[in-house]
Amino acid sequence: MVDQLPQWAALAPVLALAATGLLLLLIDAIKPSARSNTSMAVTSALGALVSLALTVWFVVAGTGHEDTGGAIYLFADAIKVDTMALFFTAIFASVTALVVVAAHDYFHDHESPAEFYSLVLFSATGMALLAVANSLAVVFVALEMVSLPSYALVGFLKKNRGSVEASLKYFLVGAVSSAIFVFGISLVYAATGSLILSDVAEGIETVDGLAGVAGAGIVMMIGGVAFKTASVPFHFWAPEAYEGAPAPVSAYLSSASKAAGFVVAFRVFTEAFPIGASISAGIDWVLAFGILAVVTMTLGNFAAAVQENVKRMLAYSSVGHAGYALIGLAAISAGGSSNDAVMGAAMAHLLVYGFMNTGAFLFVAMAERWGVGRTFADYAGLAKRAPIACVAMAVFMFSLAGLPPFAGFFSKYFLFMGAIDNGFVWLAAVGAINSVISLYYYSRIVKAMFLDDPSSESALDAVDVRPTGLYGAVIFAAVATVLLLPGFGPVIETAEAAAAALF
Amino acid sequence: MVDAFAYVPAIVLLPFFSFLVALGGGKYLPKGGAFGGIAATAGSFVLSIWVAVTVLGGRTYNETLYTWAGGEQFELTFGLLIDPLSALMLVIVTLIALLVHVFSLGYMNDEGETGLPRYYAGLGLFTASMLGFVVADNLLMAFMFFELVGLCSYLLIGFHFRQEGPPSAAKKAFLVTRFGDYFFLIGVVAVFATFGTAQFAGDGSFPVLAEQALNGEFDAWTPLGLDVGTWFTLVGLLVLGGVVGKSAQFPLHTWLPDAMEGPTPVSALIHAATMVAAGVYLVARMFGFYALTPTTLAIIAFIGGFTALFAATMGVVKEELKQVLAYSTISQYGYMMLALGAGSYVAATFHLMTHAFFKALLFLGAGSVIIAMHHNENMWDMGGLKDKMPVTYATFLAGSLALAGIFPFSGFWSKDEILYEAFIHGLNEPLLLGGWIMGLLAVPVTAFYTFRMVFLTFHGEPRSALARDPEPVRWNVKGPLSVLGVLAVVAGFVNMVPVQKLLGVEGIDLLSQWLDNEFGGIEGVGYSAYNDLLATYAGYEAGTIAGSEEITLIVAAGLGLGLAVLGLLVAWLLYRAPEPTEHTEKLGGAKDVLYNNYYQDEFQVWLAYRTEDVAGGANVFDQGVIDGVVNGISSVSLAGGERVRRIQTGLVTHYAAMLTLGLVALIVVLGVTGGWF
Repeated sequence: MVDQLPQWAALAPVLALAATGLLLLLIDAIKPSARSNTSMAVTSALGALVSLALTVWFVVAGTGHEDTGGAIYLFADAIKVDTMALFFTAIFASVTALVVVAAHDYFHDHESPAEFYSLVLFSATGMALLAVANSLAVVFVALEMVSLPSYALVGFLKKNRGSVEASLKYFLVGAVSSAIFVFGISLVYAATGSLILSDVAEGIETVDGLAGVAGAGIVMMIGGVAFKTASVPFHFWAPEAYEGAPAPVSAYLSSASKAAGFVVAFRVFTEAFPIGASISAGIDWVLAFGILAVVTMTLGNFAAAVQENVKRMLAYSSVGHAGYALIGLAAISAGGSSNDAVMGAAMAHLLVYGFMNTGAFLFVAMAERWGVGRTFADYAGLAKRAPIACVAMAVFMFSLAGLPPFAGFFSKYFLFMGAIDNGFVWLAAVGAINSVISLYYYSRIVKAMFLDDPSSESALDAVDVRPTGLYGAVIFAAVATVLLLPGFGPVIETAEAAAAALF
Repeated sequence: MVDAFAYVPAIVLLPFFSFLVALGGGKYLPKGGAFGGIAATAGSFVLSIWVAVTVLGGRTYNETLYTWAGGEQFELTFGLLIDPLSALMLVIVTLIALLVHVFSLGYMNDEGETGLPRYYAGLGLFTASMLGFVVADNLLMAFMFFELVGLCSYLLIGFHFRQEGPPSAAKKAFLVTRFGDYFFLIGVVAVFATFGTAQFAGDGSFPVLAEQALNGEFDAWTPLGLDVGTWFTLVGLLVLGGVVGKSAQFPLHTWLPDAMEGPTPVSALIHAATMVAAGVYLVARMFGFYALTPTTLAIIAFIGGFTALFAATMGVVKEELKQVLAYSTISQYGYMMLALGAGSYVAATFHLMTHAFFKALLFLGAGSVIIAMHHNENMWDMGGLKDKMPVTYATFLAGSLALAGIFPFSGFWSKDEILYEAFIHGLNEPLLLGGWIMGLLAVPVTAFYTFRMVFLTFHGEPRSALARDPEPVRWNVKGPLSVLGVLAVVAGFVNMVPVQKLLGVEGIDLLSQWLDNEFGGIEGVGYSAYNDLLATYAGYEAGTIAGSEEITLIVAAGLGLGLAVLGLLVAWLLYRAPEPTEHTEKLGGAKDVLYNNYYQDEFQVWLAYRTEDVAGGANVFDQGVIDGVVNGISSVSLAGGERVRRIQTGLVTHYAAMLTLGLVALIVVLGVTGGWF
């Protein structure tokens, strides 16, 4: 089926996102006076869904899969479309669709919402491009393409002091990180003489005297990845950006943008810096990821436990989840039998996380839309006024904490199991302890919503509207979180196949 | 031709649908959903007959239908096992359920009860659960339906939940049986751990593997390096825990008399065909396993014999009609356990069948009397009802004669066979002989309390205004009574083993042939196969007195019948008077003991309080030590979180500095380990 299509058609999901972004600009430019929030939201949601449909079709048809002739290379090997790229594109497209639908209600009284949609779509295009990047140059360009719209999105509420401040901090930390990342690329280029990932891998094998240069470059690249995934010590922007940004943007950044960081890490580190060659050259980047994983999940969960603001708690929990996903890179070893299992589990976790975390942030968006307040105490008794949404939120919370019978349990289970099978019991143990801590702060929300009484009779009178789009997005995310449990088989198989192709 | 076995799931599902219909739309239906239940159980009954006829034709069915959890070590499945035993049981259960549904029209609808949809929904689910239990092909599935049966009994016993007694009785039934089920559950897990399967029959089923393990052909898992024989005994006893609870054997029988708080048709269903029968059926179902463990068998027999006597003595002094019947149920199930322990699978099943008929009859008859007496159950307020309710009297009398074990009513045949088997095997095994003696002693007591009940209720002069002018009952009461009355008289003729042995008439032991796979069955699951196992592994052999089987038979049967007639005559002498008087005073102190059921309830309450004391200690430990540790950890975590939180100063210059320092530290660590410098 795919054979009949030209090779470049493999980029169709990326192109669909880019074209939608341009179309939004066009609509806005032609009829600036007649532009409507609704038409923009519908257009961008359709664009994201088309991209998702194409991606799912490609995955089912086996595009870039070994069975149908292997990965598709384009533009002098600068682009590589394989199963992993499609898997992550599916995450990006799903989150984008959820976010734009939710944003329709969130920005219902905003003066010029049009820019929001095009910025989100362009950022998504960058992510999709990141997923297929096969050259360090493309990686850098795509990364910036993800980041620059993000800065603007965080500061989208121009008159809100918190939003603007968060945007500036995000931009400054981002600038430092980008500088470090691109410097790291230059060092790697200096040591290996190439930017194409497979050529870099060959260069690493014969790096000899330049191990120090290559090693410093690789660690700096880890820094760039850590910024995008909000891992310690590059996480400082995250709590403030997530808290200050409009909630749909927080959802977008914490789910899609984080997954984008991971797709780079998975591809670059397995293909450009193969474990065996790297370790024999004295560059033990697995150890670096191990340290980052432990520190990140511990710091994220401990900090989340003491927050009073729900959005900030979710921000730190998002840092903690970056730590779990890092296990996918930290628990692999040269010739390890479960390398593909653990990395595939990390990918599956990011997919599940894409739904449950987006859903949680969108619930916060709904609370902001109602104006009920931002702290745990403000959520007290909410279940009496908005039972369906609160049940959905409870699903997200328990799934994030990794309790059965929700999808978050399975993905985390496979992740820890893979780590144990690969001999990294200590990583799984730290992860499990952190999960226990996380249950504390996740269940606090559930307790507040269902068990606590509102602080005053009139505290919940703010819940006076039923934002359809937000409701739809939240419920869809909840249903997906639950349905991913029976549907987890195909997901984990696809993810493991994608990971297996990397080794 | 259409295969009957394809419709076995429908036997279970029809009552389940009636449950759903009654629950969902019962209040919109005429008679509160009763007709749905009647139609469903009638359908199940017809299908069961068809299945039984198919089994009679020599075919059986043993298939796994659905694997709901599979692993490398074992699979958890749902499946069906249809052999002569389960086919017979299906017919009994569906027939009783059908009659109970019809009777309920008279007892519940005509009496203007409220909440009928809930009642019929409960009956439907109860029947469905029991049928699911009967057709289960593995122990886990059986356990699940066993629990459902327990749940339904809870719902139905507590039907009149606004009164004080029923909810409390329901709770008691639930908790006491749950106590036994707890051991059963451990037993199920133990069976899985030991054999890796819980299938009842066929190659690779756990009774077969157990036999191979005893021969050293199969390597069964045992804990702590226990000998396989000892371990199998323990597993058997664990499962027996559930049986003792459900079949109301000593010491977990206390729930059953209280369960009389439920509506009378429910009592009939519980006692004759569902809840209580489940325990005995379970032992019969996995008899291939029990036959390998003589110790368990001896314990089963002894518990059974003891319960038979113990419960019978308590029945002697009760004043309420249903109470007497309740204790008689406990006693009769004791007989069945005695039979199983004595190795007589056929006698136990036989008594299970005859008892199902005559006990359902007696309960429905009692229900009829209760309708007539406007729900006054005290026998001392009755009397003289025989002329006013002839159908009820005639059928109740037939049931009583069967219960008392009077020739030639059905109970005589089955009880006689049990005592005979216990006797001949007991000649070589003292514990069994003890069981037999107690079983034999219970015979006159049974006859006595049964006819005390009959005389007080139906004979003499009416002793209250209610008894002088009873409310008439309709066809829906008399119909089921008549059907069961006939069965109580004739059901015994299906297995006239003593007659065959004495007179040499061949072919009148139909039930024995049926259960001995004469018409076809599953290999290794049948009377002869069990007898071989018993002879090989349990060392069971039949003894005789004076070296002659005939003499042994005549002595045993004569003893049983003679004692039954004696009991009847004593009851006649004491209570067959126009104005009978209370004779229990003559028992002196013993009366109080009997009246208070040997203070069993008091003992259990005392035990519960002692348990509470122990639990109190555990609570202190939990609050102090466990919670202390947990709280300590959480305060440390939260304090740590506060520290971490302070890293986030809000100043972006600090962020840039820390970020750079972190990166440098990482480079240094990797550089040192990798030797870059």
